[in-house]
Amino acid sequence: AMSYVVRPWALRDLKDVMRLIRVSIGGKSLREDGFGRDPKFGCLVAEVPPDQRSKDGHTVVGYGLYFFTYSTWKGRNIYMEDLYVMPEFRGRERGENGIISGSPSETKLMSKIAENRCSQMKFTVLDWNRAAIDFYQSHGAVDLTAAEGWHFFHLKGDALKQLARGHQGQ
Amino acid sequence: VTGEKHLPHLKAARSSAARFLKVLRKCEPAINSQVLILDLLEDGFGEHPFYHCLIAEVPKEGQTGSSCTVGYAMYYFTYDPWIGKLLYLEDFYVMEPYRGLGIGSEILKRLSQIAIKTNCSCMHFLVVIWNKPSIEYYVRRGALDLSTEEGWHLFRFDKENLLRMASGE
Repeated sequence: AMSYVVRPWALRDLKDVMRLIRVSIGGKSLREDGFGRDPKFGCLVAEVPPDQRSKDGHTVVGYGLYFFTYSTWKGRNIYMEDLYVMPEFRGRERGENGIISGSPSETKLMSKIAENRCSQMKFTVLDWNRAAIDFYQSHGAVDLTAAEGWHFFHLKGDALKQLARGHQGQ
Repeated sequence: VTGEKHLPHLKAARSSAARFLKVLRKCEPAINSQVLILDLLEDGFGEHPFYHCLIAEVPKEGQTGSSCTVGYAMYYFTYDPWIGKLLYLEDFYVMEPYRGLGIGSEILKRLSQIAIKTNCSCMHFLVVIWNKPSIEYYVRRGALDLSTEEGWHLFRFDKENLLRMASGE
């Protein structure tokens, strides 16, 4: 049976988390944004003991990146930005603390939620990622885009600059 | 509201929890029953704010020096490890009698300036796809529907679910 711990990340985990994220804004920014005076996000890592290390020798095998959001209706919420477990560590038997592997970070996220009076957890999934959708729905997650029509919009680059100058678009 | 355009006066509401509560009560009267007022105050105006707000005020007719709140925006910062900090617009509301006067545009202008000033690469928000006027309002200003363009769906675990998962079921 596989054993592992899920714990908040520390500075020493930065390289591992960057390895798992693969593409990122860069170590300097991640460090400042994650460990600076005013952290922009939190991160949990899943770690296995040395004798169960990955094929290429790593013990940090998963991570969960989250931040707090807010609703004037429901108060504090938690948003799960990234959740990733290395493929060779997915779908194993129940871990030591009784969680189904593949969601090891979620239980620690749960306690963050309880500590911080969060009432719900939100996250996004791409519509073609059937495996992830099935996984989350089997745990009771609701697809708010399908059910209630919520769409994500973004304003960036030139459009953002134009708005900042007071232009109201065509 | 007379025929003339009331120039909106936007205040950052950080220093005025009372003002924020007042505008919330006007814009979302049912809110009292949803979130404890004390939590709202602590979360927005305590040591570590979970959100920020902008409040739009117009001069009170016939009462110089006095103003009334007519709209607000509530926002916070989110994070994408690929691109860094983002500004997330959670609430954006202008009271009906005061729409069409440029107040919403002024709020969006200030938000965009805040986003740029705080090094956010973009502003994110959610809109219900069937809300055509809102969709048009944002698309006209250059917003892009990521759910349609890239397939992003928003999912939620409610509290009951979270507790069930936490207990290992």
